[in-house]
Amino acid sequence: MDNDTQAQTAPREADVDAILDELDERGSVELRTRMGPGGVRGSLQALLRMREISVLGATILLFVALSFATPLFPQLENILLVARQISILAVIATGVTFLFISGEIDLSIGSTYGFLGIVLASLIAKLGLDPWLAMLITIAAGAAIGFVNGTVTTRVGIPSFIVTLGTLSILRGGALLLSGGWPVMIKLARDDAFLNVTSGHVAGLVPTQVFWMIAVMVIGGFVLSKTRFGAHVYATGGNQEAAILSGIDTRRVKTINFMITGALCGVAAAMLLGQHRNAFPLTGTGYELDIIAAVVIGGTPLFGGAGSILGTFLGAAVLGMITNGLVLLGASAYFEPVAKGSIIVAAILVDTLIRRRRR
Amino acid sequence: MTHEAVSSPASPTAAAPVGGDRPLIELRGINKLFGHVQALQRVDFCVYPAEVIGLVGDNGAGKSTLIKIISGAYQPDGGTILVDGVPVTFSGPADAMKAGIATVYQNLALVDQRDVAANIFLGREPTRGLVLDRKRMLAESVEVLQQLRSDIPSVETPVGILSGGQRQAVAIARAVHQAAARLVIMDEPVAALGIEESRKVLRLIKQLKASGRAVIVISHNLEHVFSVADRIVVLRRGRVVGVRQRDGATASEIVHLIVGAEHL
Repeated sequence: MDNDTQAQTAPREADVDAILDELDERGSVELRTRMGPGGVRGSLQALLRMREISVLGATILLFVALSFATPLFPQLENILLVARQISILAVIATGVTFLFISGEIDLSIGSTYGFLGIVLASLIAKLGLDPWLAMLITIAAGAAIGFVNGTVTTRVGIPSFIVTLGTLSILRGGALLLSGGWPVMIKLARDDAFLNVTSGHVAGLVPTQVFWMIAVMVIGGFVLSKTRFGAHVYATGGNQEAAILSGIDTRRVKTINFMITGALCGVAAAMLLGQHRNAFPLTGTGYELDIIAAVVIGGTPLFGGAGSILGTFLGAAVLGMITNGLVLLGASAYFEPVAKGSIIVAAILVDTLIRRRRR
Repeated sequence: MTHEAVSSPASPTAAAPVGGDRPLIELRGINKLFGHVQALQRVDFCVYPAEVIGLVGDNGAGKSTLIKIISGAYQPDGGTILVDGVPVTFSGPADAMKAGIATVYQNLALVDQRDVAANIFLGREPTRGLVLDRKRMLAESVEVLQQLRSDIPSVETPVGILSGGQRQAVAIARAVHQAAARLVIMDEPVAALGIEESRKVLRLIKQLKASGRAVIVISHNLEHVFSVADRIVVLRRGRVVGVRQRDGATASEIVHLIVGAEHL
């Protein structure tokens, strides 16, 4: 360091205002060149919102295209059928959206869902528990599974991708061990309240599963966008270090999100058991990919910090419409995975292009 | 590395307070190890209310480690922290915040995807019942940014698309906004700023002092340090090698302390 220049620029008995005024004068030239145009920033802001609009646009486009392609598609009964078909997926995807936004992933959701189905059916069929009590226990068991996933991930520091890959396998084995590999049937009367509420119809038309989906997503959307916890979820995934420095317990936030996801797997298991009155040990195999696809198509990035429940709903709707549309069009069932995969890649492509234009 | 600093210990007589008679915060004999590296060694340090401390030292002297200990981000391996004369333990930044210590980090610690208001209230979002009080967040964010005379177009702008200076303003606004903040720590607050915005920040430091808050400023720019600091604390290789009143100190004296006499 040059001692002489330092002595010049830092006079003794410095009068603060004089120095500040001097800086003022010297700053006047540089000032003009440093200030960037504000107009560019406005359009960048619009780009950030473009992702949500593009999902909505794609959903509407798909709906209109399928309506033209087959007159059966826009029928109310068919739309309600699609809504019911996506409702279980959307319930679990709501939890996964929380997890993704906080920067974590859960690959065990399909197994958790299948395992909890066996647990719920066994509690009712083998232990003779009241189905509602059994459902509460199952949801609590789901939260407990999430607690384990979250605790191992955040306290031990193993990436959630690995931890939940482990629980994926463990819980699938658990479902097989618990059931002996056989379906578990519950013997409830056809008009039992549990069956009607979990998977009946309102006014003989609208499936109750759709109401479960709406309830879960509305509550989830509210928590995420309107509450303090929701703000902490976004902060945790957006910049974990910043969140920690601001006093947010990011490990707690993530663990709660794992627990929400697990609990919602329990809700989904009850919705499915009400529909089939049988629990199958292999239920949910590979389901995690569909659920994650819905979340990603809905605009929630894998690395967190952004996303919305509305986006996830639209993502689930896109997947549901594709499956349904292909059936109505008489396309080969083998084509369905190809179509789904293409949509996922297209969604990521849009994300990447938006992000590249932001730079 | 233990031989040189011992010869010029921090002189208590050079550390007379400018406001109040009891330190707001006092560190006694703070040690911090990273593996085998002694980042801080028996550091004594105190800040009085309404006092501006200039914390200077070469890269790796331990400045950032020291402020992270004061702000609760790191826990010392030895020594005592006293707030208002009472020994405390900060197990995290939340504890330090409760004690009225707010920090502006060099990397700013902003969440790019979130808007200005969300960043200013990060971790302390106000609620009405269960719901975030967005109205209050927006109003108070506008207010604090106006105090800074910031040119941020809207408090609902995502921070990620702001300029470097604007991002700095958001980070400082957050520290200032913490109503209970009695001590604001700034790590190189003007390093990334243009001259106009640097000047605003230096004025802001004076405003903080006028409002009775203490400020610790880390800066490599001695000109800035001399223009705002009441007291200058020099760190060198993890030790406090000098504490000087601004009035009466010379820049060359400070430079000597920073680089160590053997280099001159």
